Order: sequence, then C-alpha cells, then structure tokens
Amino acid sequence: MNLVKHERIVDGADVDVFTMVVLRRRFEGIIREMINALFKSGRSGVLNTAMDFSCSLTDAKFRSISLSQGLPVHVGAIDLIPRAVAAKFGGDILPGDCFANNSPYMGNTHCADLTLCVPVFVEGEIAFYTIARAHLGDMGFPSPTTYAPHSFDVYEEGLMLPCVRIQKDNRDVSEVIDICKANIRVPEQFYGDYLAVLAAVRTGEARLTALCQKYGFPKIKSFLDAFQDYAERMAVTAIGKLPKGRLTKEMMYDSETDLYPEGIPIRATIDVDPAEGYVTVDLRDNVDNLPLGINMTESTTLASCMTAVLNILGPDVPRCTGSFKRVKVLMREGAAVGKPRFPAATSAATTNLCHALIPHLQSIFADMEAGLGTAYGSIGMPGSCPVISGVDPRHGGKNFVNQIIMGYWGGPAMHGHDGWLTYGSGGSQGLLLQSSVEVVEQQQPIIVEKLEIRPDSGGAGEWEGAPGARCVIRPRFAPVRFMINSASRKYPPQGVRGGLPGACMNIRRIKENGDAEDLPITTDVVLSPGEKILSEGCGGGGYGSPIRRDPVLVLASVRAGRISPERAREIYGVVVRDEEEQWILDAKATEILRAKRPGENA
Amino acid sequence: MTYQIAVDVGGTFTDLVLREPTGRTRSFKSPSTPGQIVEGILNGVSLISEKLGIERREFLEQCSKFSCGTTVATNAILEGTYARTGLITTEGFRDTLLIREGGKADADAINIAMDYPAPYIPRHLTLGVRERVNSDGGIELMLDEAHVVEVLQRMKQLEVEAIAVALLWSIANPSHELRIGELIEEHAPNIPYSLSHRTSPTLREYRRTSATAIDASLKPLVTRAVSELERRLREEGLKGLLTLVTSSGGQTLSSEVMERPINLCLSGPSAAPEAARNMFYIEGETSCDAIVVDMGGTSFDISIIHDWKIPMHREGIIAGHIFGVPSVEVKTIGSGGGSIARVDAGGFIHVGPESARSIPGPACYGRGGVRATVTDANLVRGFLDPANFAGGTMTLSVENAEGAIQQDVGSFLSLSAKEAASLIGLAVEQDMVAAIEEITIRRGIDPREYVMVVGGAAAGLHAVAIARELGMKKVFVPPIAGVLSAYGISVSSMKSGFSRSLATATDNFNYERVNATLEALEKDGLAYLDRMNIPEGSRVLQYSTEARYRGQVWQLSLALEKGRINNGDELAKVLESFHDLHDKLYFVRSNDPVEFTEWSVMAIGEMSSGRPYFGGDDQDGADAPEKPSRQVHMRELGGECEIPVYDGTRLKPGVLIKGPALIDQPLTTIVLYPSTVATLTSNGGVWVEIQQQ
Repeated sequence: MNLVKHERIVDGADVDVFTMVVLRRRFEGIIREMINALFKSGRSGVLNTAMDFSCSLTDAKFRSISLSQGLPVHVGAIDLIPRAVAAKFGGDILPGDCFANNSPYMGNTHCADLTLCVPVFVEGEIAFYTIARAHLGDMGFPSPTTYAPHSFDVYEEGLMLPCVRIQKDNRDVSEVIDICKANIRVPEQFYGDYLAVLAAVRTGEARLTALCQKYGFPKIKSFLDAFQDYAERMAVTAIGKLPKGRLTKEMMYDSETDLYPEGIPIRATIDVDPAEGYVTVDLRDNVDNLPLGINMTESTTLASCMTAVLNILGPDVPRCTGSFKRVKVLMREGAAVGKPRFPAATSAATTNLCHALIPHLQSIFADMEAGLGTAYGSIGMPGSCPVISGVDPRHGGKNFVNQIIMGYWGGPAMHGHDGWLTYGSGGSQGLLLQSSVEVVEQQQPIIVEKLEIRPDSGGAGEWEGAPGARCVIRPRFAPVRFMINSASRKYPPQGVRGGLPGACMNIRRIKENGDAEDLPITTDVVLSPGEKILSEGCGGGGYGSPIRRDPVLVLASVRAGRISPERAREIYGVVVRDEEEQWILDAKATEILRAKRPGENA
Repeated sequence: MTYQIAVDVGGTFTDLVLREPTGRTRSFKSPSTPGQIVEGILNGVSLISEKLGIERREFLEQCSKFSCGTTVATNAILEGTYARTGLITTEGFRDTLLIREGGKADADAINIAMDYPAPYIPRHLTLGVRERVNSDGGIELMLDEAHVVEVLQRMKQLEVEAIAVALLWSIANPSHELRIGELIEEHAPNIPYSLSHRTSPTLREYRRTSATAIDASLKPLVTRAVSELERRLREEGLKGLLTLVTSSGGQTLSSEVMERPINLCLSGPSAAPEAARNMFYIEGETSCDAIVVDMGGTSFDISIIHDWKIPMHREGIIAGHIFGVPSVEVKTIGSGGGSIARVDAGGFIHVGPESARSIPGPACYGRGGVRATVTDANLVRGFLDPANFAGGTMTLSVENAEGAIQQDVGSFLSLSAKEAASLIGLAVEQDMVAAIEEITIRRGIDPREYVMVVGGAAAGLHAVAIARELGMKKVFVPPIAGVLSAYGISVSSMKSGFSRSLATATDNFNYERVNATLEALEKDGLAYLDRMNIPEGSRVLQYSTEARYRGQVWQLSLALEKGRINNGDELAKVLESFHDLHDKLYFVRSNDPVEFTEWSVMAIGEMSSGRPYFGGDDQDGADAPEKPSRQVHMRELGGECEIPVYDGTRLKPGVLIKGPALIDQPLTTIVLYPSTVATLTSNGGVWVEIQQQ
C-alpha cells in the first residue's frame, strides 16, 4: 500500500469521517429500498423477470450520489431528468408533484423507458429529486416492440411524455394516465408498471424526508458537498495512475442504411491527462443523425462515456457527479453518436450504437497500454431476446407483448479475466437477469427447444471472450410475431492486443420442411406453428494473443465442448488427443506447434 | 434415559447444550477437531461427563436424545469436496447450471474484473437426453430410452459417483424422470441418484437443477459421515434417538437425512431463531417479533422472527449455488472480528470483505497478523479486556492492535489509534445495519417494532450500537448467547417439508385436483410423523402455497389456514390473504386473478420437554458487582473516558445498570451506550432498553 497521507475529508464540526460513513450507507440504503419497492411488483416481462429498471436520486444541484446499483446506461446521466423538470417548471414545482418523462429530447434515454421524478421538499425548499426508470414491455409504439431501428423520425416512435406532471398533490393527473392507456396495447399492464415505478419514487421521498429530520438538513448538505469532493479525489487518484496519451480509433457498426453501405463508422478520441486528472472523450467526429432509430440520445451518450471510463478507473471510485466531473465529453448536436437533433429517431438509443460505443472506448485504453481496457462485448440483441407478441389461446386469446431475455451473453475479455458469460451488453454489464425457460414457456405460448453455449463463438485470446448462445424457439399453438433488434452480423465484437473477434450474430428462420433462411439484422417476422427461429448470439472479443493462453484452460474448454479440438490446434496452438474417450493434452506437440508462431507470443 | 444433548459443530468450537433431568440447561464449548468431526463431538461429551462426574459411556447410555447440527453438507459445497456427480438434462439445455439466472450481487455490480463462476457440475459431466415435456405436462417428444442407456454408459465411463436428473417441466409431468430413475437402477445399480421433481418440485429450471445436483452430490459423503457418527456414538454407549438439524431449523432422524442430504444445507445456523423464540417463551414475553443476530470471528448471521413465526424461503445459497429447499431465511455477511479495515485513496474507510480469519488472525492475537481488524478495534477502544478474552483462554496484545490500527487507518486520516478504532467499529456496524435493512425491507418489516436478540462472542460488542442506528428500542442477550444455535437445536421440533407442484388459478380453480394434492401432502406428512413416532397430540401440519398475480413471474409463499379449499368462500379467504401479503411487501394489490404453482406441507412433531432453567450453582448475586473500570473511546462521551464494568456472572436479577457501562460475561461483553439501561432477568438473560432520541 503506497497511499499518500492526506488531511481529513472535511474540516469543521459538521461532517467528519464518522458522519461520512453513516450517511453514505444511509443514502445507499434509501436507493435499495426504492429498488425493492419496484421489484417483483411490475408486470411486464422486462421489468419483473430481467430487472430492467433503475432507481436513483440527486440533490437540489442535480448531483447524483450513488449510481452503483443501477443499470449503467440508465443512470449514467440521470441528472438530465431533474434538470428537465427544473427547466420546464421552474418555480411551479410543489410538494406532491410527480413528473413523467420518456422524451429523448428532454434528457430521457429512449422512449420505452418510463422515467418518474419526484421533487423532495425539506424545510420548504427542494432538497432532492428521486428518480425511477423502467423499461416497459409496451410504451405505445406503432408496432408491438420497444425498439424500432427502422424508425425514420420521432413521429414514428409513438407516445411521447415530454416531462409532464403525472401526479399533483399525490394524486394521479387522470388525463395523462388516460392518454397513456389509450396509446398502449396492454393498458392494465402499463398501469401496474406505473404504480410500481411510482412506489419507488414515493418511497425514496419518504425516506429522504425522514433522513433530513434525523440528521438535520445542514449536516446532510455538508455531507453532499463532502461526498462529491471525495468521489472526485478518488477519480483524480485513479486517473493519475493511467498512462498519459491521446488516441483516436474508429470501428464499424453494421449498417441498415444506403447512406453507409459498408457500415457506420463510430469514432472516438480519448485524451488522458494523468497530471491534471482528466479523461476527455471526444465524439464530435461522428456521422450525422441517421434516418434510423439507433441514434443515441444525450443521456445514453453521456452514460456510455461515464460507464466506459469508470470501468477503467475501477470499482472503488464512486459512481456519482463528483467522479463524473473528471470525465469530459465532447459531443455534437446532430451526430448519431452524440446529441440528437430534432426530430431524429432514437427508440434504439440504449442498445445498438450504445452497445458498440462502451466497449469501443474501453478498447482504446487497451490499445494505450498492455493490461488496460477490454475487448469488445456483444453488440445488438440476439434473436433469443425478441419482443414477442400475439394472442395466447390458453388465456382465451388474450393479447400478449413482452420482451424475453435469454442467451444475452458474450462478455469482452480483459487482462486477467475471460469474458463474463451473462454480460448482455455494455449498457447492462451483466446486471440483467436471464429469463427462466420454464417461466418463458408458462407466460408465452412458445417452446424453447435449445439454449446452450454456441461452440467456438467466444473470441480467442490469452483471455477469451465469453461465448454466445445457440437458441431455438417456436410458436406452440398460433402465429407469434418476433421483433428482434440485432447487430454484429458483418462486424462482430473485436479482440484487442492480438485477441480475435467473437463469432458473428445470426438469426435464421427454419421452415416446416427444414429449409432455413437468414433473417435481417432488424427482424419483424410472424412465425406459424411448425416454424422455428434459430438464434446464434455473438461472442465477446479476446484479449491478448491466443498463443499465450494457458494450454490447461484450452484443454478444459475442449473437454467441456466449448471449443473444438481443431480450434485448439489452429487458433491456440494447443494439441489435444482423444485417449480412452477422454481428451488429454499433448504438451510436447503443443510446445513444438507454438514455437512455430513466435511472433504472436510477444 | 434422561439427559438430552444438542451439539453444533462449528469451524473453531463445538458448542454443546445439556438438558438435565431436572430441566436445568447448561452450555459448554469444546475446540473442534477439523477433519474429525466425531472426535470433536466426543471430546465435548467427555467434557460434560467430567462436569457431571460420571463416565462418558454411562452418561451416553442415559441420553434419551442426541441432536446434532453439522456443517458436513455446507462445507462440502463451500470447499468443492462433494462427489464427482453426473447431471442428466433435457437435450439442448446442458448449460442451465452455468447460466444460473444472470444478474450480479450488489457488491460486484460495478466490478468488471471478475471471473465468471464455474457451474456446480462441470459441463463435461453434464449430458442431455432426447425428450421434452411442455408446460402443461404434455409430451412434446417421447423419452428416447436407448439414448438414456447410452448416456448412462458414458456416465459410468466418466466414473461418476452420483447422478442428478433434472428435466424441463418434470414438475408438470414426472414420467420421464421416473423412467430414467428406473434405468439408472437397472444399468448403474450402485450409483445413488436424485430426481428433480422429488428433490425440489419447483418452477424455474435453474433452481430445481441446482438443488438436485447438490442433493445427488452430497449423497455418498453424507451417508458416510452420518453412518460414521451414528456408529461411533452407538459404540460409545448412546441408546437414545440420534437426530440431525435441517435447513428448516427442525430435527429429523438420521436415516431421513441420508435420503435427502440437501436438507442438511445450513444445518446449525438454521436453529438460531428457534433459540430466540424459545427464550421469549421462557421470559414470559407476550409477543415475539425479533431480529436475531449471531456474530463470530468470520461472519454475521441474521434471521427473523415475526409474530412467533420464523420465515422460511427457498432462495438459500451456499457459495453462489442455490439449494432451493425450504429453509430458515438466514442472511450471512462476511463481517466478523477478523474483518480487515483499510482506507481508500480518497480517505474513506472500508471494513472487509477481506478477513484475517483465525490464522493469522487479528494483530492483537500475536499470531503473525499485522492488519487492523474489528477485534483489534474493539480492544483498542477499550471494549475488550485483554486479559480475559474467549473465557480467559487468550491474552490479547493492545500494543499490536494499536500499531496495526495506527498504521492502516489512523495515519491516513490524522486520527489517534483510539479514534480510528471507533471509526472501524462504526464502519462495520454500518455494514451490519445495511444487511439487516436488506432482509427486513424484503420482508416488509419495520425493525423499529422488533427486538434484537444477540448470539455469538462478538455480537454483544456491536448489538446496542446497531439496534440504536436502526431505531430499535430493545436488545436481548439470552443466557445461552454464546451457544445460540446449539440451544436452538436442543429445543427445536421434529420437522420435515413436502411439496408438490400443481398449477391453477382463482378464475378457473380446480378444487378436485387441489384437494387431491393437499390430501397427498397430508399423507406424506403423517407418514413422516409416523416414522418419527410422534404421538397424536403433538402433531402439526402447516400448509402453504406458492402464489402470484397473473402476469407476474415471482411467486410468494402464502400460508394456508387449513389443508383443504372446499368452496368459493374458502378460496375467497385465500385470495384475500394473498392481497394482504402482496400489499404488505410491495404496497400494491391488484384485481388480477391469482395463480398457484406449488403446494407444500410442513410436518411438525412438537417435542415437549418441560420448562428449562438456567440457574448456576450459586443463585445469589450482587447488586452491582463492579470490576475495575475501563478506559474506553466513545464518541457519544466526547472521546476517551472511564466507564464502569460489571461482572455479568455475579449480577443480581432485576437490578438496573445504566449506560455507559460494560457488562462482562464469560463469552461476550455487552457494550452499553449512554441513554441505555440493562436489566438481568432471573433466567440470566440481559435486556437492554434504548431511549431513542
């Protein structure tokens, strides 16, 4: 331990190190209570099976306090929500109000995320905002999905709640609820979800009020300042250990527009200034807004940058405004990776380009110095994560629409660790729950025929990218509509520092006669009973040359059927032999084979 | 045949509780003998017989019941020493144990530098068979028996010692699993096996598969260990009943455990709340709402009692693997005396999860530990008597502790060693508060209405501070605090749970099949109570069901008042109780139909054994038996100050002790802060009242 001795966290009697410990835990506890109030109570599949929601709070200066318990893409720029409330309503904000927002132009992530925000009054002034955000199964889209990569503009993205008052005096503004119900296919499910999200923000409000009573508002205010200073010091220290440098990198993202037939470039420049303690991410040199729903929003662009850089800085650095101050993001209004210019479509702003941008930024750190950063992880959602809809004959032909989350895998490798299997994407980073096959089949009239590791799909490397899933789904009784928002078809997640890319993502329709046809990246297809969807998820990219991977680990993967013996030999330079029905390592042959590839062993 | 013994085998100590013919109850501690559990137990028995002044054999011959909590299952899972086990799944689903359910623990949420955990059974020992049942129990694909036989040959080639069978939807139609069971007996007759619909007949393939894999993997080991224990005890003279404590906190005969070893998961800690509940009876309390905390050297266990009931759950986890059978909800965090403190680069203190364990141990042990731990902090802030630690078996070094704390914490924060010690104490207490909040919030419980019950050597040092932070008004330190689980074992009932799956809903309720299922469960329960020789008057059957609103996917366990649902009125009552439960936990109720997925019964045989008493040989006592006062560091008193110390063993019942003060007991010290008052009861328990501001 080579820590530098420094002075106490705060001078003065108000907030000492003791109070810091207590109040930090209290705030974390309040967020935990908000999460609990929401959990298990929501109705749509993404809410109550995958935990696709986040709870958060900021102070009156819009400073977030603890974001470690939320989905990175949800909470990385949560302050935009109360800022929108203050900008729009100014002095007209009263106790008992609650504001609803799903507008990508008012600081929200994308239109399928319903975000509620409650101002918390202490001693007559706004002291905090509590915020809860949930991805709903249906938010009034023209088609039964929550992502529409083909939307031309915002008018094709359905219902908009541009930061509106949804509760006054703690009672619903019924007109707003009525508009929502009139636009949403499953109005009862929506209202149940709304109540769950509301329970979270109101719970937070009650607990924060009690906290200020117990400790005194002045002490809480001093704590809030002190905590941001602490988080900033942690960030400065961590940045101080990074190498100084500036690097620009471009990657390609699978295109679905004639404007970019070869692919959509994503460009970023990262400038690390360890002496001053700043990391600057420059995204201005990106393409203009696309006539597609994949444009990023201000919220998801900022959150992606914070997530990626803080991933590099490590888990000890608190995720809050204080540390985020040390990450400067330069973006351009009207850029696809940046801030959208009205009326660009953004319904897929939390997924496609966002999935690409986070590991792209992390990979730049890997290029800067050995041991740093990560490879690329899964980009786009595999066919095993469709939004499915139709009627369920088991419940009298009732409509259903839900997203299921299966085989959302393919984590990127990093120095010292293979990719995390149930990673999903950089926006959720392993936090989403994966649906149970039995629950999926009970809730929807479909059969899952297979859900297993797709062999040889993880990017090879000294540390290996996590594999993708091979999954087969079929309708059980009646036609089912599958809407899939994938990517990684032509440009799979890349490796770094000699690591190889993961396998590409594929989606196939298997007809009753066994014929297969490829389905496009953005799929909207109705399958009849007898037909199947075959989904092959991409793997994460590898880190470092595969020739450096421990042969014992390669052998274990062959034994487990995760990689083929051919791949072991050709890619990893590891020779395994089948002896008495058991794979064993041929150490000598491996040594000889690897000696022929000295250049890769650097 | 008059003595009863209860034993809880821990990593460091084997705790024993003796119930004498008179009802007098005494506790003992004896060092454990790692790797030779039976020796440790017999050493403990010898200790007792010496105290009683009779031969060990004679003593054992006079024991009517010998009850045992054992970590054999828990440790095998933690250490990976379970049998080499093969897993048979539905073809296409070999990775169920690898995928688990996704998500990450709170503490790991923002850490990307982690290895993905390995599955409980490696993939090369997991084989799929061609078959498929659907969610209604219909057969989509007939079981390919020739394929099963091939798979079994492969399993033998792989030299597996046990086989787990977990097929999709076996809970809706078990015929394929049953047939595979028959084929195992035919083609691999000596390999023990478990079938998922029997081990844990619950929805969600991961949970069921994990439970089944664990159950099968423990069979060889548990059979060996339990047979050995039984053989040795019988050799040494035991003639009475031998029972083991299960996950449900009850006891059952050793023969039952060998059939379903998964029920031994968390055997031991599962009995702690039973101890607290029993003490509430004895103390004459009219209500019982308690948070039970047990803190030793390496962990802090929390359990709940709500209105005399001990909540059960099915989400018990050991080493990341869910074991799924109904178990007492015990939340464990890695905060203990050995937890190590550190200061981060921004000047914030963290305590744990790293632990100095017992070797090298805290710096003050003088066994080579140099890092500052919670025990060091408690010593430096004056809460522990260096000359009288662990019942006087150990002398602690204040100098070592101060040095470590100064170096690891004080120097970075410009605090004195004593101030830094207080900060470490506060930080670990905040972690405990957070853990208690989590378990109570999840149950919709307000801790302020609850009493904190304390067990374990370290808990008395922190309990009052934690309770105060949580807004609780009372802390109870029972006379058997040092052996809480062993005492719980001694007073627990005979207990075993049975479950069957059956899906139905309030809008199309299938009375016939539900009642047939409940009747079958009743038979299961009664047959068990028959096997346990429980007399008619001592039998209790508690029914429950797993229920949820349509559209939800997580079930809640709902208690049923009786074992049948005969008509619409009775169903309406069940529905109302579900609304209440959901409202309490999640603040909302719904008009949607309620779906039921699974039905269970807990068969309980109450073991009446009369009222115990805890008196020592010397029942007198002094009003306020003071020991030399100690210099402590308490921020509430402005820092360092001298406070009185009382000898807990010589206190007179009913006398009030006002905080700030310390009460030294043989195995723990109770720290009383200002604005608290402690009283000793005639049973030897200590009640602390906290005046909340």
